[in-house]
Amino acid sequence: MLVETGAHGLRVASANRAAQAEGVSDGLRFTDAKARCPALVSEDIDRAGDARALADLGHWMIRFSPHVAVDGLDGLMIETTGCAHLYGGEPAMLERVEMLLRRHDIPVRMASTPGAASALARAKPGTCLKPGTEMAGLRDLPVSALRLSEAARLLLRRFGLGRIGQLYGIERGSLARRFRSAEMADAVLLRLDQALGRRVEPLSPLRPVPAHAVRLACPEPIGTREAIELGLERLAHTLCDDLANRGEGARGFTLLAFRSDGEVSGTEITLARPGRSVKHVLRLFREKIDRIDPGFGVDCLVLEAHRTGPMETGATALSGDLAPSDTDPVMLAALADRITAKLGEGSVCVTRFAQSHLPERADRLQAFDGALPEPQLETVPGRVRPIRLLSCPEPIEVLAEVPEGPPQRFIWRRVARRVTRADGPERISPEWWRHTSAPETATTPQGSRRKWLAPKLDPRADADLIQTIKSDLEMMPETVCLKTLPRARDYYRVEDEEGRRYWLFRKGLYGDGRGGPPEWYVHGLFS
Amino acid sequence: MESATILRPDVFRLREESVPAPAVFPLGLGQQGVHEVCETHFGDLAALCGFALSAAQLRPGTVAWISQRALGLDHGRVFQSGFGALRHSPPDLLHIRTTKQVEALWALEEALRSTAVGLVVAEIEPVDFTASRRLTLASSRHGVPAILLLPYSSEGSTAAAARWRVSPRPSAPNRFDPRAPGNPRWRAVLERSRTAPYMAGRAFDLELDDETLSLSVVSGLAVDSPDASPVPSPAISLRA
Repeated sequence: MLVETGAHGLRVASANRAAQAEGVSDGLRFTDAKARCPALVSEDIDRAGDARALADLGHWMIRFSPHVAVDGLDGLMIETTGCAHLYGGEPAMLERVEMLLRRHDIPVRMASTPGAASALARAKPGTCLKPGTEMAGLRDLPVSALRLSEAARLLLRRFGLGRIGQLYGIERGSLARRFRSAEMADAVLLRLDQALGRRVEPLSPLRPVPAHAVRLACPEPIGTREAIELGLERLAHTLCDDLANRGEGARGFTLLAFRSDGEVSGTEITLARPGRSVKHVLRLFREKIDRIDPGFGVDCLVLEAHRTGPMETGATALSGDLAPSDTDPVMLAALADRITAKLGEGSVCVTRFAQSHLPERADRLQAFDGALPEPQLETVPGRVRPIRLLSCPEPIEVLAEVPEGPPQRFIWRRVARRVTRADGPERISPEWWRHTSAPETATTPQGSRRKWLAPKLDPRADADLIQTIKSDLEMMPETVCLKTLPRARDYYRVEDEEGRRYWLFRKGLYGDGRGGPPEWYVHGLFS
Repeated sequence: MESATILRPDVFRLREESVPAPAVFPLGLGQQGVHEVCETHFGDLAALCGFALSAAQLRPGTVAWISQRALGLDHGRVFQSGFGALRHSPPDLLHIRTTKQVEALWALEEALRSTAVGLVVAEIEPVDFTASRRLTLASSRHGVPAILLLPYSSEGSTAAAARWRVSPRPSAPNRFDPRAPGNPRWRAVLERSRTAPYMAGRAFDLELDDETLSLSVVSGLAVDSPDASPVPSPAISLRA
């Protein structure tokens, strides 16, 4: 028996069959249960561990259908639409699922609606319910199978409504009237409608349902890398043919290996642009197939295609003279895929130019997605940019500072450098539209309404208002509102005695009221 | 457009290009074979980038730029907005960022073999003879040139076509403002060369004109050249 600490002390969370035979039921107080059966052995329930185990089992059940959802705390739903014929019909599939789950001793039922399947699985060791027979099939089941709250179940029991069939005859309005709150009545009617298929119940799948998936059931569990590669090859041919028939390509492929001991091991590859070349997919998987742990043997392999999209196909150019551009995008994407598969996501990047004056924002690295960047935006004449940019500006110690000019000497990375020549400044103001925090409003009522933003003030008519605003502005603690604002940068191009050229900037101006004295940084290196 | 742009083995080629690099500056840098460009002192990597990009005779196509994260912490990353000051039509860049040297070498060889790019540039820790031999073979087999930008500590034998040692020099006088830096200047010493061994040891003092973006040899600064004989000017072809 498993116990859980509730609002009113220890309660029985789950009792096994032997305990149930002694009269211990779920939800009973621990002391009552102990009184009914003094020899009871109890343990704390581990809800997080249970949820994890349920999710693991759910992932393993993806071998039957890609659409598997968790139902409540202790149930799994498998959407079998379009899958049952693979196993020779619904009864045969049910039998097969039961056989696989025999070790876990889990009841399995099948019905046309999720609600009915859930009710059957919880209450009746039944069989497969054909569409349209839900009313008859659920008639004799207890109402507790309807996934209702504890309070609703108690109320129904007090009304003497023990079976689902008894709910059919009652007029819906009068049934709703008997409940204390409208929400509870709605919940009961919703569950009833869902079980009978009158309302749609969407399932949220455990993992995204792939656009295409192919599966290969192995007659014997396989455990070697060669066998998995062979299986993968067959799957890849089928999947890529399927994609080719639809004229699509996929940007992600996932290989799932279902082990006979109830575990799933998987690996995935990503492509820079949609593709369906078997050779390319196999080559990318070859790097990663070692990550699949076959355990005691794999009895089912599934290959899924994710993020499918239309694929441009065309004849390749006969010669470089006839190619539309110097770069073959397909081959470039193939190279990027191979490097990404081996070195990890984000190792292949391209520069994306943005319209910004800040150098670190104007030219940023982004993961390669199959397209080379747009050509750079038009360059401003006279604007020079370094060939190397430090990942973040490094502070320097300025020894001989000129108030409005570049430093004469500075220390960067513990080496003193003497500036011989310098050029600048190029002032880059902060982007005010990116710092939207408003300055602190003044304390007076007029100030809090911020009348000084009014476009026109008549000096004579609004003399009082102007006076108030002036006093407000004086009272405003300027350090509070100004310190939070970013500071302007003055960039200088300087050269030291050895001929090295640096890109320095001074952050802030003298007396701009945004913090202390300006600071100096190195941001880049010129060639 | 040259017919050498697509060098896939299954693509019909109009003519075989097996013209050896002419024994003139820059000895096929960026056009053929693997070239090593090394720092003279720590921190010269920016000068290497400037020298390699302005001196290389680029073929059309994307440039794969391979970098190691550890070197990026010291020298920053290559900044594409700065290419405009070195070349008229800057190439497209595909950045490949790696952590270890073996990964960078693997990516380098993979890029050479794929022939999807026109040039591979790698900022990498010093490579040994075996690695450079392997890269040279891959480069010659697939016809994709490579430039290795190496730290100052790379010495010893190499299988590369040439090894340049580059250092920055004080820039040229600025005509408009004597207090401002002028055209960038570099000194490139050809340490080793397989195509033109007789040119080894020669120093080139180069200046990049910031208007025409053409590289020219400066004579006035070559007083402390390791080679006593003056540089014979006809042997140097200048890129206009």
